[in-house]
Amino acid sequence: MRTYILKRLLLVVPTLLGVAAIVFLIMRVIPGDVALLILGGDDGGGQIDQAQLDALRKQLGLDQPLIVQFGTWLWGVLQFDFGKSLWTGQPVTEELLIRLPVSLQLALMATLVSVIIAIPLGMLAAVRQDTWVDYLVRVVSIGGLAIPGFWVGILCILFLVIVFGWGPPLEFTPPWVDPWANFSMMVWPVVTVGYRYSAVTTRMTRSTVLEVLREDYIRTAWAKGLRERVVVIRHALKNAMLPVITLIGTEFAFLIGGLVVTETVFTLNGIGRFVVDAVAHRDYPVVQALVFLIAFSFVIVNLLVDLTYAWFDPRIRYR
Amino acid sequence: MAEATRRTRTLLTVVALTFLLGSLVLPLPDTAAAAETPRRGGILLAAIGADPPSLDPHQESTFANIQLVAPLYSTLLQFDPLDSSKIIGDAGTEWKTSPDGLTVTVKVRQDIKFHDGSKLTAADVKASYDKLVFPPKGVKSIRKAHFAAVKAIEAPDASTVVFKLKHPSAAFVSNLASPWNVIFPKKYLDKDPNYFKTNVVGSGPFKFKDYTRGATFEGERNPDYFVKGRPYLDGYKFFISPETAVRSAAVRSGRAYIEFRGLPMSEVEAIKRQLGDKVTVQEAPTPGWWAVSFNHKVKPFDDVRVRKALTLAIDRYTMGKVLFPLTGLKNVGGLVRPGTEWAMSQAELEKLPGFGRDMDKNRAEAKKLLAEAGFPNGLKFVMANRNVKLPYQDFAVYFIQEWRKIGVEATNRPLETAAWFDAGRVSRNFETMVDPHVDFMDEPDLTLVDFISTSPLTNWSQVSDPQLDDLYDRQSRTLDKAERKKLVNEFEKIVFEKAYFAQGLWWVRNIVHWSKVKNWKAAPSHYSNQKLQDVWLAED
Repeated sequence: MRTYILKRLLLVVPTLLGVAAIVFLIMRVIPGDVALLILGGDDGGGQIDQAQLDALRKQLGLDQPLIVQFGTWLWGVLQFDFGKSLWTGQPVTEELLIRLPVSLQLALMATLVSVIIAIPLGMLAAVRQDTWVDYLVRVVSIGGLAIPGFWVGILCILFLVIVFGWGPPLEFTPPWVDPWANFSMMVWPVVTVGYRYSAVTTRMTRSTVLEVLREDYIRTAWAKGLRERVVVIRHALKNAMLPVITLIGTEFAFLIGGLVVTETVFTLNGIGRFVVDAVAHRDYPVVQALVFLIAFSFVIVNLLVDLTYAWFDPRIRYR
Repeated sequence: MAEATRRTRTLLTVVALTFLLGSLVLPLPDTAAAAETPRRGGILLAAIGADPPSLDPHQESTFANIQLVAPLYSTLLQFDPLDSSKIIGDAGTEWKTSPDGLTVTVKVRQDIKFHDGSKLTAADVKASYDKLVFPPKGVKSIRKAHFAAVKAIEAPDASTVVFKLKHPSAAFVSNLASPWNVIFPKKYLDKDPNYFKTNVVGSGPFKFKDYTRGATFEGERNPDYFVKGRPYLDGYKFFISPETAVRSAAVRSGRAYIEFRGLPMSEVEAIKRQLGDKVTVQEAPTPGWWAVSFNHKVKPFDDVRVRKALTLAIDRYTMGKVLFPLTGLKNVGGLVRPGTEWAMSQAELEKLPGFGRDMDKNRAEAKKLLAEAGFPNGLKFVMANRNVKLPYQDFAVYFIQEWRKIGVEATNRPLETAAWFDAGRVSRNFETMVDPHVDFMDEPDLTLVDFISTSPLTNWSQVSDPQLDDLYDRQSRTLDKAERKKLVNEFEKIVFEKAYFAQGLWWVRNIVHWSKVKNWKAAPSHYSNQKLQDVWLAED
């Protein structure tokens, strides 16, 4: 097991390097540069000349050959220095640390909500297959898949504002500073994201539980006269959980960097919004650092998921 | 019974008349006046759509910078907050231009303190303007071009600043009132000219309190502000959200009292419907247009007949009516904002291609010109655009459907902002392009620059016309306003006669704010009147 973990951790290095190189190249291939955006103004009113533009590009290091730019960045990363944002001039790590807790909290809470909703519902739908309970669960989960998250978010806000004249707070307060203020801000984005992801997990739980319920050992359990609760929870659910855990893990990793729309709609200053702004500004060091971070979280979460397999399924043994 | 009724009526009439006369003679409880008596205290809550790259107004050109930091600084002169056509003093008390137009002398107040307690003197003004006009290496100055006429800046004593010019500059004094040209303390600039990208030491009505990137920006009252009794507010706080619907909801729910840049009309109307008199809407015609540039280096847009046909086809008057409720684009005008001192008369404007009101005639002429240019069956091309809904996409849709009426088929090609800037300014990878221009004041130097050959990065169409270059220089150096107006209008006529670009419409800001926000007048530009020193909040 220890060797396996070590191998997996070593594999992280080339994975991240590959991701970094690909992102670096993609960002350079697409047209547009940060210097032009800084000098240009919002609506084209900025008066700029070529000398100014060239000077700014030089100041930002954009006049260097690509290989030098990549090398400089990589050397910095090896020293845990992600460089400075070209847009703001601030250290990328500092900017990241402001936003990471927001995204982490949202991802954790949304995952928790989705699990709390999805597993009981999925299980219930499987056990009561083709009854009204199953149909209802399927309708609810298809709704979650079909309705875009941003639309649900905006509807939530509009409903609250129009009906109650109340809008969610606009400023993030950490839970340890003011739990109620934090809850007021997080509850709607968590419900929005949690509902959407519960839909995916509900469907997966339903189908895997259904599959397991058809296995011989379940039939044996029924034949032995075990109670439904015991058969379903103790025998079926535990064995049906493997794909569901994979799904929950990858969802969580995706949520850390993938909540762009939700963070924008609910004024949450998180990683998702940051990455989109950085791409729009052609802020290369920020994009590279964020993709690096997101890739890293994917790798780690995948590793944790694989390790959890062993706990759920004793047949699995890594050597 | 009838008698009693008559008596009652008479009594009621007497009482009513007595009350009415009394109300005219006796002073009413002064509710209206009391409501307008400035009240001290309160935090002005505002929503804003973006984060600034840095905090230094000398180095930025986005509303996201100036709206946040303007209350923290003084400028030498300023546009009157209640009448933006007038220039009044701020740190400068009086200003004088020499008869030859080559020297501008400004007197500096001696009772101003920076927020660190040090005194503001002419040396600080000189250092700030040196940074703007002659930026040191590694420092960018967005407004360097505005001061191309400046030869030297001197501070002969603590209360005098002298600007020596290479040639007279009509726009010079207005530029001293620019909200962007704030005064920094010299001692920090000496240490690091980029200090103010991340720090604030101003002398404005508010002091910097806190800034969380991507989230909030706060200022608090400066108790030592040199204007006695100001500011009225205890502070101000901006919430940063790029999503229009969120900013609109924030205003609707009272989480923010104002969004200074302006919300789409549909949102403004929805807020007004829900909140009624609790909110006020201010409409401010803005020094900014949305137009279409032709790439003169690409065929057939090098042919004046094609360009003229394309501009003739646009019914701008109907466009204003159609697009205003959707986008805020409303007014028909030339290259200077309609209704201002520089604008030509409506009658003159209507004689120019594309501004006549007879659209049947315009379209017939457009078709004839296209046929002459070798396109009797119309033509097809791509119109590059910014992938921003308001007003870019609606604007393009209108142009495209108008062109269709003369057999021209244009395809809207939305590009994300960075690619759009790159195509327009650097790679020139476009045939036609939606090209807006928004300024902080009505100043011909700022708008006409888009058509001169010596400014290729602002001249998206790549117009190269020595006559325009010459006219630009002459109007820029002419201090006589009437003479300058003549030159400006002559410039406009050439641009439109040769159809160097297709003008669209001038933008009108629609600001909806809670009525309890008092004494703030929406300036034409969303960069101006953001100092907030006279703004106050009425009680709920």
